[in-house]
Amino acid sequence: MTETTNAPTPLREPPRHRPPPPRLPGPLETLGYTWRWLRRMSTALWLLFALAAASVVATFIPQEPVIPPTVRDWRAGVDGPGEEVAAALDALGMFDIYGSWWFMSLVVLLLVSVTGCLIPRTRMFLRTARRRPVGGRNLSRLSNHAAIDTSLPPDEALAAARRLLRRRRFRLRRLEGDDAPNGATQLAAERGHAREGGSLVFHVSFYVLLAGGVIGHAFGFIGQVNVIEGERFADTQIAYGGYTPGRFFGLEDHRGFTVQLDEFEVSYYPAEGIDTASAERHVPLTPAEFVSRVTFIEDGEPVATDTVRVNHPVGFDGMNLYQVRFGFAPSVEVRTPNGTLLFEDSVMLTDEGASTWVGYTRVASADVDNQLLLELVLLPDAALTSDGIPFTRTPEPHNPRLVAMLWFGPLGLERNIPASEFDRDAGRQLPQPLILAPGDTGTFEPLGLELAFTDLPYYSGFQVSYEPGRGVLITGAILMLGGLIPSLYSYRRRLWVEARPHGSGSRVTLAGVALQRKPTFAEAFGSLEEDLRDSLPAATSTADTPVKR
Amino acid sequence: MVDTQLAQTSNVLFNVAFVTYLVAMVAYFFRLAFTRVAVDGVPSGTRAGERVGQVATALVIGGALVHVTSLVTRGLAADRMPIANMYEYSSWLAFLTIVVGLVAVQWRMGYRNVMGFVLALAVLQMTSALLLFAEAGPVVPALRSYWINIHVSSMMAASSVLIVAFGVTALYLVKDTAERRVAARSGERFGGSTVGAAQSGDSDGADAVGAIDGRVEGAALDTVDETHARGSADEDDDVVAGPLAHRDVLSPVAFPVVPFVVAAAFTMIVWRAPVAALAAGSVAAVLGIAAWYAVPHLPAAANLDSLAYRIHTFAFPVLTFGVIAGAIWAQEAWGRYWGWDPKETGSFFTWVLYAGYLHARSTRGWRGRRAAWVAVVGFFALMVTYYAVNLFVVGLHSYAGV
Repeated sequence: MTETTNAPTPLREPPRHRPPPPRLPGPLETLGYTWRWLRRMSTALWLLFALAAASVVATFIPQEPVIPPTVRDWRAGVDGPGEEVAAALDALGMFDIYGSWWFMSLVVLLLVSVTGCLIPRTRMFLRTARRRPVGGRNLSRLSNHAAIDTSLPPDEALAAARRLLRRRRFRLRRLEGDDAPNGATQLAAERGHAREGGSLVFHVSFYVLLAGGVIGHAFGFIGQVNVIEGERFADTQIAYGGYTPGRFFGLEDHRGFTVQLDEFEVSYYPAEGIDTASAERHVPLTPAEFVSRVTFIEDGEPVATDTVRVNHPVGFDGMNLYQVRFGFAPSVEVRTPNGTLLFEDSVMLTDEGASTWVGYTRVASADVDNQLLLELVLLPDAALTSDGIPFTRTPEPHNPRLVAMLWFGPLGLERNIPASEFDRDAGRQLPQPLILAPGDTGTFEPLGLELAFTDLPYYSGFQVSYEPGRGVLITGAILMLGGLIPSLYSYRRRLWVEARPHGSGSRVTLAGVALQRKPTFAEAFGSLEEDLRDSLPAATSTADTPVKR
Repeated sequence: MVDTQLAQTSNVLFNVAFVTYLVAMVAYFFRLAFTRVAVDGVPSGTRAGERVGQVATALVIGGALVHVTSLVTRGLAADRMPIANMYEYSSWLAFLTIVVGLVAVQWRMGYRNVMGFVLALAVLQMTSALLLFAEAGPVVPALRSYWINIHVSSMMAASSVLIVAFGVTALYLVKDTAERRVAARSGERFGGSTVGAAQSGDSDGADAVGAIDGRVEGAALDTVDETHARGSADEDDDVVAGPLAHRDVLSPVAFPVVPFVVAAAFTMIVWRAPVAALAAGSVAAVLGIAAWYAVPHLPAAANLDSLAYRIHTFAFPVLTFGVIAGAIWAQEAWGRYWGWDPKETGSFFTWVLYAGYLHARSTRGWRGRRAAWVAVVGFFALMVTYYAVNLFVVGLHSYAGV
């Protein structure tokens, strides 16, 4: 039954509001959402946490580019959580986190986030920083306000305040007449834009650092080389052991100069309170210094000599030479029974612990099944324990002994592998090792091969690198610190000063507000008020104008 | 080469300083116990408490003087700056922690009740120094550079400031929990205990400056004072709540248990020594209970948060400089600025976490407790970088002679 009312019926039914059917956002919309999401500070926070988490993992799981032997041990199950866990980590790319695609994406996302934030903020900053100070209303309602009575007329009081604020580097603006917000002439002051400016500079520094890093990486190169005393190496690709050129560093970018190692010296601090000459165990000594004296040769002519030591790299022709490592390289000669020289070289050894130096070298091979290899162990300061076990007293070559073992058989050396990775299972070792002092000769029976230990030079290990982009990196670092400090310590604040006639002089109203660091501003305001009070002569007291204390 | 006589003197002085700090710490806690918490929530001292407090201060200053002498003699004994191994570094950390605590906490802010905890952190550092003791000796060539003074001292300074900041942050979290629960119990409206929560300040990215400009003359800024007053105590409701209510609302179980577990686990993982783990855990448990007892005597949570923020703000540029100096030194010594070796990645994630803390302080919804927790995680990262990476992980950075 229809109701009749006196109310006029609507001309037409209001349209029934039905919510539109849900639809997936289109690609452009999604891009918009993503862009806005990336620009938020909370997103930046989560990205930073993810970055930190990735680094934590990379600290405790050995990273292949940094420490490959440990990674090898982990994969083999010799060290670490075991083979299965290591295999799982490998599948997730955990042994090279910093090179992994997801870490790269994280960094890219962060950069996009920073960019998305920087652009509008920079625009806003340029606008705001250029604006003149605005006037203030209702000064007495602000928590930082003070009234000072003075005998000066309003104009002079205001001028005194202006001088004071100028000295404190405030930007000033005088508002009078129609512009004055509260009727009386007002001095509006503002400063502290360095907070935002500094923050922007700090964040821009990330781009600069990234650019410097990329330039150095792409256009530079790092190479490792070991040189025996008296020998030389040339700056060409084949000279280097570990060779990592940048993408845009080509063979022709090598300078081609030659470096000759004239002399290598290593000295140790004396052991405190231990007589090393009669020690029963290895006494590890702290190295005091290891120094290489080198000569640079260009086009066959020696051009310069210099000393390379740790923490003191040497530069030549744009390249840098770093002292990285050193070791022993005993010189040996191997002769057949009828005197033919089979092998003559200095073999670089590595310290396997307790100053025991070990190395391997191919001697000769007739065919795949008949290969010869020498395993050498050097004890620089050889002695025997009471049980007859050889050891070295100190790292210094006071009494060097070379222990040589000969391996023969199908050692697998025809493959392009380092001598130390020969096939131990397939090969056979002559049971009796030779123990030689420098200058001695020994014979491997029953083969009759003669081994002469002729000399014991050192070898010096250098890193040669070309590092463009250094200046960019330093600039980035300066920008980072230069922007950080104002972004944390500066703060935007505004002050207003008005002077109205009061009694025989004037009453000066001082008020201020800070957007950040309010407690600090409250203190600064207090000291400003005191300074202003000091600079304004006190009002001559009359009955009805009490001087404000 | 090493002057053993001076080295002996240095060790003796270290032990004297250690004991002095221990006694001073106890004295500070005694002072705290002798403090009355008045109706308006403000702690006020008793005469006995003040006397004990003065003794405590005298002890700390005396101990610090002895401590610095121990460091100087150590340097003279080894004929180099005494910052080359973990023993010396930990000793410096303890000394600087106390200096920062005295300057920032006691003299600048007058929070004597917090000093006990700062001293506790310093004593823990001294203990770790003893565990890591190494005879005075010369350094390897890699450490013979003037960069050691620049890089290591800045990391040391930054770390000690961050240790104090952590102490204040932890106390803030405790006090804030207490205040919230008391407020919830008495039903009053709680405006948020951090000064930052009420103000607009810096907020999300792009809206930031627009918001700032619009609010300058507004009344919004005046609410800061009200928040302060609300946060610390409410005159009427305290008759119901009582000043010691702050302690009542907190469960005394979590306070010893959580620090015990954390300290014991950390010690166990890094040193693999069950006895040391038990000892460290017990010390942490005692500190936890002390914190529970101390809650009503602490400054208001808003003030603690503000102080923590200012201390973190001071530390961050120093930390940044330290990392940059380390990179420059790495270039001189090892031929590359940054190689992602474990110490470098450790300092990286520590830096990122503290940067996260500063970001959180400027992000709506993260200010206050959430940011404080970020700072706590950052501190944990700092400790991991210092102890675990040095002792546990293999890399270029392992200290000579540890």
